Amino acid sequence: MDHGAATAAQELSSEGRDKLTELVVRGMARGDLDPALAPAVDAGLVLVKGPIVMPTPAGTALVGSWLRLADDAPERDRITRTFHAFLPVNRRLRELCTAWQVRPDGSVNDHADAGYDADVRDRLDDIHDSVTPLLGRFAEDLPRTAAYRARLEAGLAKLDDGDNAWFASPLIDSYHTVWMHLHQDLILGLGLTRAEDEALEERLVAGSSE
Amino acid sequence: MEFEIPVDDVGLVPFGKGTERGLDERTLGTRGIQLELLAGLGLPVPAGLTVPVPSVPGLVGGLRAQAALDLVELLAGSAIGSVNDRGGLLLLRVSASAPVEAAGLPPELTGLGLDVSALPEGFGPQIDADLYHVWWQTAAIIAEHALDVPGDLVSGLTLDHTDARSRIEPLLELCATRGSKPWPTDPAEQLSLAAVALARRWASPRAARARRSQSLPEDLPLAFHLEAVLATAHNSSGYGSAMSRELESGMFTPTGTFCRGIRGADDIGRTQRPLDELPGGTALLTGVLAELEARLKQVVSVTFEFNADHVALIGVQQLRRAPARATTSLAVDLAMRGVMSEADAVRAVRPAHVLDLMYPRPRLTGNEVVLVTGLPASPGAAVGRIALSSDDAVDLADDGQAVVLMAAETSPSDLSGMVAAAAIVTSTGGSASHAAVVARGMGRPAVCGAGSLRFDLAVGTVTSGDVTLTAGDTVSVDGDNGRVYVGAIDLEVPDPSLALTTVLLWADDARRLGVRANADTAADAATAIALGAHGIGLCRTEHQFLGDRLPLIRRVILAHDADSEAKALAGLADAQRMDFRDLLRAVGDRPVTVRLLDAPMHEFLPATAAEAEDEHQAKLVEHMHESNPMLGVRGVRLALLHEGLYPAQVEALFTAWADVAQEGIRPQLEVMVPLVSMPDELVMTLRTMRRVNQEVATRTGTLVPFKIGTMVETPRAALMADKLAQYAEFLSFGTNDLTQMTYGFSRDDVERRLLASYIERGLLKVSPFTELDEHGVGALMQIAVDKARAVRPDIKLGICGEHGGDPESIVFVERLQLDYVSCSPHRVPIARLAAAHAKLGDARVPA
Repeated sequence: MDHGAATAAQELSSEGRDKLTELVVRGMARGDLDPALAPAVDAGLVLVKGPIVMPTPAGTALVGSWLRLADDAPERDRITRTFHAFLPVNRRLRELCTAWQVRPDGSVNDHADAGYDADVRDRLDDIHDSVTPLLGRFAEDLPRTAAYRARLEAGLAKLDDGDNAWFASPLIDSYHTVWMHLHQDLILGLGLTRAEDEALEERLVAGSSE
Repeated sequence: MEFEIPVDDVGLVPFGKGTERGLDERTLGTRGIQLELLAGLGLPVPAGLTVPVPSVPGLVGGLRAQAALDLVELLAGSAIGSVNDRGGLLLLRVSASAPVEAAGLPPELTGLGLDVSALPEGFGPQIDADLYHVWWQTAAIIAEHALDVPGDLVSGLTLDHTDARSRIEPLLELCATRGSKPWPTDPAEQLSLAAVALARRWASPRAARARRSQSLPEDLPLAFHLEAVLATAHNSSGYGSAMSRELESGMFTPTGTFCRGIRGADDIGRTQRPLDELPGGTALLTGVLAELEARLKQVVSVTFEFNADHVALIGVQQLRRAPARATTSLAVDLAMRGVMSEADAVRAVRPAHVLDLMYPRPRLTGNEVVLVTGLPASPGAAVGRIALSSDDAVDLADDGQAVVLMAAETSPSDLSGMVAAAAIVTSTGGSASHAAVVARGMGRPAVCGAGSLRFDLAVGTVTSGDVTLTAGDTVSVDGDNGRVYVGAIDLEVPDPSLALTTVLLWADDARRLGVRANADTAADAATAIALGAHGIGLCRTEHQFLGDRLPLIRRVILAHDADSEAKALAGLADAQRMDFRDLLRAVGDRPVTVRLLDAPMHEFLPATAAEAEDEHQAKLVEHMHESNPMLGVRGVRLALLHEGLYPAQVEALFTAWADVAQEGIRPQLEVMVPLVSMPDELVMTLRTMRRVNQEVATRTGTLVPFKIGTMVETPRAALMADKLAQYAEFLSFGTNDLTQMTYGFSRDDVERRLLASYIERGLLKVSPFTELDEHGVGALMQIAVDKARAVRPDIKLGICGEHGGDPESIVFVERLQLDYVSCSPHRVPIARLAAAHAKLGDARVPA
């Protein structure tokens, strides 16, 4: 991050900082620019392209520097341990999203088979049961993550109201979308790159059996 | 749905002994019936029994547990928890099934009877780990659901102890201190607690939701199944599943995977091995699957467990929705074997399967350069320019370009680029990676895990092997087979497979309705005939006046006088004759219905006065502006205003017929007049045609044999069909227009603004432009059919709207006893099949 961006960032309101953080965690936003982010656009932290608002690499780096836990932070170890338990569940969630979107024969799930959908939905409960105690621990050690449980459960509630999009649609705060935000938030907190995160997940999943 | 549950106490039923006692799925559950089926075919099933629905309360209450355990031990020949004479450790598994297929059943509990404090020696560390794992899974569920240990304490153990073995002591401790009683050592007592846990899980809100979402009754009962599980050394034991067909090709061959070790409640992280590595080979599975396919007439899948010397089939599933290739091949195979009739084979293949098989695919010539092959992560195909970052993808898409986003991987920060892209390619990540999940969520084709891609973002290139492409270059992505090609590749409908061709030939034998195609050009006609159309039911002539010829037809319509009209028409004559000649050659001796010009006039006129050739034209354009062009001067109406138009068309047509007759081709020509609402419109046109035919005969020496007919598109034409039939030798229902005019729907307008809302609010189930409205439009058709046949019993009746290719509409057309349907060339196979289904009945079995 260059010096100018850092200086400009200091001029962001606390609301602006929150909005920028949210934007980086979410990756992008659609619709009009939030007025609180206008200074961030001027500072080159945020880019507006048509209907899409997205962070610049400088904005992403800046938020990363805000969220990253210090190496000697006392909670770092506990968070890392919980994160190691999270990654195999993360893999299961992605595989289940795949099952929700694609039937085992490779055809797109058209949601016409209630039995198939009910099975996948039932297995989402296993995953949610697995992640719930982890969310509790994350919330203890990293209070800003406390809201994710309610957001995940809001997605579940909407899904159970009958709108299938709330399982995995990337364009709304579906269960998968909120999960991805949580994951991104944790990666930023631990200061991992995406590649480090994937390698770690691969190792943990492979290590869980055989 | 209601289930009448037999209340008689039917006791305990060993696997395979239920049918002889007259028991069915209502008492044995679906899995009990699967085991009956397998045992009845003489196939090996595990030692065990079903606790039928009426006996379940006894087991849950603890009364039957000892008796059930004793019987399983008797059947297995050894005590649960002991090492038998073959050196295997016997464990008990409890599972549940309902009288109907149901998702959301309680999990299987496998580790019952295991003395976890003293595992037998000699199975090796992997089996020991498996044993601890299945014990933990079973005990955790029992502790929470039967011993009332708080669930968060149980799940807390998984966080604090990463391996199952180290959770055992704390869990036993939790049962003793926080549970309703300590963990029992007696297997019978464990069994009755397991039954309680499964019953409570089935009563939980989670299971209730699953039942609701499947429209199953709230009080749907369960049967329990108890089976002996034999644990032996890791390398000689395992479990897996095998499907009867390879789904990609549809071919019969055992397809599936297996894992080594003990089958527990889940197999996350286990290595899935291909079946051909199965110790002992796949011969047994091959025989089993062939037998089961013939019995169930479905693509089937079996689950199995194996030990050193023994395979047991533990379940059989029918693929409720087998994919198209497998379904088609299965139907043909079984009919060839005489296991099912050809008619049943035709019934087994659904129109949706044909649609799948005829889905456009990249047209490969063999000269393509494959850039890279990865995992087919999201289906579909797309062509676009390479963008190497989300920003670039957004920029390119902003410029109106189709974009293929190529990246090592994607993360949530790439969402903007993925939204902008037509397809996504990544080098890392599998079919459950972020890129794959998001691409499918947005319906974008994707290829993931294309490992050989190397990106150089500094210079903006992507390389695979010898090929290096630059951002902005065009690639084609096939998300169905995981290939990325250099350059643009066209999409085309694939040729029908051999199995589909066979089924369609059987369908042809079974159907009464003729199937023709709507084809405007020789190329379309050739495609349609290759796909099995027995003729052309609608050749629209409008396209003959578009493109280069548009100025000429404009001059006809805008002509000052008969002279300038004739001159303009003469300019069109040769081109039209050539078009018709090509078409008639493609049709050969088959029937072909040529419809004289029918287009709303505005389609031929300059859109604004400014586009007119001169001031006179500009004035006329303004003068001729129509408020409702679809109800304006079109079809026969335009022809009666411009009297040279139809004679010129039929002259070109008849001359072309005379030309091909010289080559020995004699198409069965039918000339059709569009948008008739008054019989006299038909009469006048008919007179013109006869005159022109005489003129052509005088000039060429050939009197062209032709039939004359009319479209039935206006309600008035339908109501006056008896009058029309006095002159018309055939009638063809143009159901698009007939639907518009019956509803008073202007199609373009209502499709854009009304139909979605009407369907959402339940006013319409489906667009009447997709599925023929039997009640209104259908009633008019029925009147027309009755009136026309009363006057001319042998009148030929057909339908040429888009409904001609819609299976539901075809059922109705069959009921009306029309002679043929005509649909777009690529719908011909679907129409052939649907027409057979309509005749055979039972056409509404769900796909």
